[in-house]
Amino acid sequence: MQSLRWAWSYIRNHKFRLYSGLLLALAVSALNMVNPYLAGKIVDDVMFAGNTGLLWPLLATMIGITVVRTCVRYGYQIMFEKMSQSVIFTMRENLYNRLLQLDFSFYNRTKTGDIMARMTGDMEAIRHFTAWTIYMIFENATILIFAIIFMFTIHPPLTVAIIAIAPIIGFFAYRLSRDVKPTFTEIRNQFARLNSVVQENISGNRVVKAFAKESYEIEKFSIENEAFKDRNLQSAKVWEKNLPVLDSLAGVLTVVMILVGGTMVISGSLTIGELVVFNSLIWALNNPMRMAGWLINDVQRFIASAEKVEDLLETKSQITNGDEQNIQATVGTVEFNNVYFSYGDGMVLEDLSFVAQPGQTVGIIGPTGSGKSTLVNLLSRFYDCTCGDIKVGGINVKEWDIHKLRSSMGMVMQDIFLFSDTIEGNIAYGNPTATLEEVYEAARKAEAHDFITSMPEGYDTIVGERGVGLSGGQKQRIALARALLKDPNILILDDTTSSVDMETEERIQHTLHSIQENKTCFIIAHRISSVKDADVILVMDDGRIIERGTHEELLLKRGYYYNVFQNQYGNFDIHLMARK
Amino acid sequence: MARNKFNVDEELETPFNFVHLKRLLTYLKPYKTKIMVTVLIMLAASGANLIGPYLIKQAIDEEIPSKDVQGLVILGVIYLGALTITGICMKYRIRMMSQIGHSVIKNIRKDLFTHLQKLSFSFFDSRPHGKILVRVVNYVNSLSDLLSNGLINLITDLFSLFVIIGFMLAIDVKLTMYAMAGFPVLAGIIFIIKNAQRKAWQNLSNKQSNMNAYIHESINGIKVTQAFVREEENKKIFYGVSNGYRGAWLRAVKIQFLLWPSIENISVLTVSLVYVIGISMIGDGITVGALVAFIGYIWMFWTPLANIGNFYNAIINASAYLERIFEMMDEKPTISSVPGANELPLIKGKVEFENVVFGYEESERNLDSINFKANPGESIAIVGPTGSGKTTIVSLISRFYDINSGAIKIDDIDIKSVTISSLRKQMGVMLQDPFIFSGTIMDNIRYGRLDATDEEVIEAAKAVQAHQFIMGLRDGYRTEVNERGSVLSNGQRQLISFARALLADPKILILDEATSSIDTETELALQKGLEALLSGRTSFIIAHRLSTIQNASKILFIEKGKIIEEGTHEELIQQRGYYWKLYTSHYSSLDAG
Repeated sequence: MQSLRWAWSYIRNHKFRLYSGLLLALAVSALNMVNPYLAGKIVDDVMFAGNTGLLWPLLATMIGITVVRTCVRYGYQIMFEKMSQSVIFTMRENLYNRLLQLDFSFYNRTKTGDIMARMTGDMEAIRHFTAWTIYMIFENATILIFAIIFMFTIHPPLTVAIIAIAPIIGFFAYRLSRDVKPTFTEIRNQFARLNSVVQENISGNRVVKAFAKESYEIEKFSIENEAFKDRNLQSAKVWEKNLPVLDSLAGVLTVVMILVGGTMVISGSLTIGELVVFNSLIWALNNPMRMAGWLINDVQRFIASAEKVEDLLETKSQITNGDEQNIQATVGTVEFNNVYFSYGDGMVLEDLSFVAQPGQTVGIIGPTGSGKSTLVNLLSRFYDCTCGDIKVGGINVKEWDIHKLRSSMGMVMQDIFLFSDTIEGNIAYGNPTATLEEVYEAARKAEAHDFITSMPEGYDTIVGERGVGLSGGQKQRIALARALLKDPNILILDDTTSSVDMETEERIQHTLHSIQENKTCFIIAHRISSVKDADVILVMDDGRIIERGTHEELLLKRGYYYNVFQNQYGNFDIHLMARK
Repeated sequence: MARNKFNVDEELETPFNFVHLKRLLTYLKPYKTKIMVTVLIMLAASGANLIGPYLIKQAIDEEIPSKDVQGLVILGVIYLGALTITGICMKYRIRMMSQIGHSVIKNIRKDLFTHLQKLSFSFFDSRPHGKILVRVVNYVNSLSDLLSNGLINLITDLFSLFVIIGFMLAIDVKLTMYAMAGFPVLAGIIFIIKNAQRKAWQNLSNKQSNMNAYIHESINGIKVTQAFVREEENKKIFYGVSNGYRGAWLRAVKIQFLLWPSIENISVLTVSLVYVIGISMIGDGITVGALVAFIGYIWMFWTPLANIGNFYNAIINASAYLERIFEMMDEKPTISSVPGANELPLIKGKVEFENVVFGYEESERNLDSINFKANPGESIAIVGPTGSGKTTIVSLISRFYDINSGAIKIDDIDIKSVTISSLRKQMGVMLQDPFIFSGTIMDNIRYGRLDATDEEVIEAAKAVQAHQFIMGLRDGYRTEVNERGSVLSNGQRQLISFARALLADPKILILDEATSSIDTETELALQKGLEALLSGRTSFIIAHRLSTIQNASKILFIEKGKIIEEGTHEELIQQRGYYWKLYTSHYSSLDAG
């Protein structure tokens, strides 16, 4: 019921289409009765009675009614399609908007294939329901009700006798609907798993090939593929147990009619004429009951999918937007006060405190997994810190309008993601309205312009998903250009130049220096050369800041930073420099 | 390489023809007997169904007027018997049809997936992944109904059509001819609708594919989208693709739904014709009773015909998916083992490039006459500016791409002459972009060698200095990770994929920026451990950090697809060329600030 209510909240907006569609369907059902009547008339009046003058008008009416009926039917079919498409369209839009809002924690635990399954297969089940099942239920229910009422007016006792087996039918219908629901849920779950295994195989195709693991992948896939078949067959098993029973029981109505009706005629409480009328109406009871099983299937299939979609729509982002929509402060100063953070258990960041002023550059260095990326993820509020507070422009990030906050930040993430779009489209990702000249300018600053223009199609080159076709360093520079084009107040570079050769890196740093005025800049890196010019360098280890200071200060401390320096430069033959 | 994006329809390279349908039928072949049995069962069921009206007529005409209660009960029992038979038949029909339908779906999907594994990088690189996914999963699913219900109904409908025509012919041949007059008209209409419908469904499948591609990419790129506050823009784009799909759908059904009214109107017209002709013939070769019977049949005649029309409709619709499925199945893998290729014997480790020329596209020269030789056990460092062709060189060793001219030899055997899997199985490749599968960390490392024990996995993790951080995670090696998850940092992903490569116990190890996101301390520790691990293996290392490169047996300096310097660290420093410049700039940058 819950799912139906939910679906209704969407369908409600298309009430006009729904009601007029149902009304037209009703009219068509009524018109359906006319042609058999006319055909009977022709046989009786024209053929037997020989009244040939009636033939032409009767035929003309028959043709006319058919034309009208088919046109109206076409009309309401399209109406239902339009309605269901609008319903699905809105749902899909809501789902997509939800996906855009959901936080990183959601994406950390949810597989792409699962989400894809929600957006495709489950939507299809909902579409089928709104376009077809609703109308079928309505049609069958009206036929059934009319038939019962009509029969009742003719002969109540016989009617009661016939529908007396309704409880048995009801029991099987209930059993079907109870047993089939879990199988549909299973099918949906398995569909998601199948989606995931294929999706990962496609995304990871390079690894698969590099390790020649094709047969293992096929094996992995076959398990899910086989299971998907099995789940479907399991559902079919429930059908084969119940649907034939329902179908036969619908036929039993006729047997009851003829037996009870027959004895009534024999005992004189029913005329043979009335029995004939009953017989001509019995299809109106039979057919809906026959259909009932299939419709129950459809409804349960819909509910199984609707629940999944609803779940996703109900998933709340843990990151809520701040109330202060109109903060006038400029983003710039960044302040961490005793910040702790944990993904669930075990602190990832512990007691972080620092201040960065506009125009300052903060270098962050430290072992893999020490929490460097997490720190900047907190700054742009991809996660909320567990305790302590983070202030940007003097205001707690939780109070900021999240979009405003992120708009003023330019971020280059460690795991570079480019879209399958042109290079120009990728650079302009954050500012779709940027002019071509601005895009070029950003690319120049990121030292990307030259290699882009040397490609045969230049800025119009389409890069594959994740930027395949570009080298690691090229991807990093495009991502950098993308961040620079935003002209952000806070620039975050997470391991941005690790795959860039040193000469290029040096040029990039030079450019960054010149544009850094008034920008707060965070540079995460492993190379000393990337961070050495920072106003303050934070050395992180195991979620804590273990050293801080400028390059010179840290060298004097002879701690972690000094060791890294030694490792990278220590064995340098100073004489080589001299010879240069 | 021409690449497709989400908002561009994929052009179809092969036109539709009935070959596709025939090919689909080959999938049904193994179930020939089952299908035959099902058809027989259904015929039996319709036979049992036909008894019903007869029994009632009998009751009303005979038993009831003669007050024969016992006879009435007997009729009722017979009726119940007939119902039981129909029920049993239906049960088998449901069972058979779902078995056949889902088995065929399963087999098609398996063939498609298996073929997908043979396709080379270029296939995956040239289109959004969402478009591949939709073919393997959704398109194949959409065939299910056509295969199970459609086909079996078609057979029974054809059967009843012939029976009815037979009855009609038995009554009157001339009238039967008139009754068929609607046929050519219907055929004409179907022919006209067909083309429009086919186009509409092709368009629909394209729009569906585009929408899926966009959703897929949106999910994968969600972090960038949120970081760049692109949500509003994306909503607009999604609105566009979703609306495109809706429009295409409505266009398609508007055409498709035309078939039914056409059939009905034609049927009423032909029936009218038969009335007129038939009535004029009364007393002149036909009796009233025969005409009434004939007209009864002619109404019945259109029901299976309409069903067949619907089946045809379904085929046209499904063909939009079928042609995509078969197009992918027919996609030739650009890299494949030559017929009769031998297994590559156990690699000793000599790798040679002889005048290798390679371009990703015909017109390009990404590598130009590359020559070098690596002896067994040597480590070769490849350095040079980004985009100079370093990754390209190493991907050629695994034969991810085929070269334009020249030869690549391992132990003096041309890699083109051996089977691809025997080659790649002996190589450990750590790709620039570390990919993590969803599953545990244990599974991810074990991917390198599936039969490795837990201890061996842990051994490999220790060797690459990953053990410590893994043990620090919530569930250690059993921690669940996934493709995009940020539970792992990039450096940690690199370490895991490094361990994976090592576990494969490769004779040739390729490290493409294996340590770019790893801190220097870990890297040094790693290098120390690595020395032992690298002995006996030929290794290729691409890196920017000099500390990684210096100890290599040989350094190749690449620029614009050519080797411009080659030698040991000392030799190259002596030469005072590009490498020397690179090396000193590393240090001079210190002075700049």
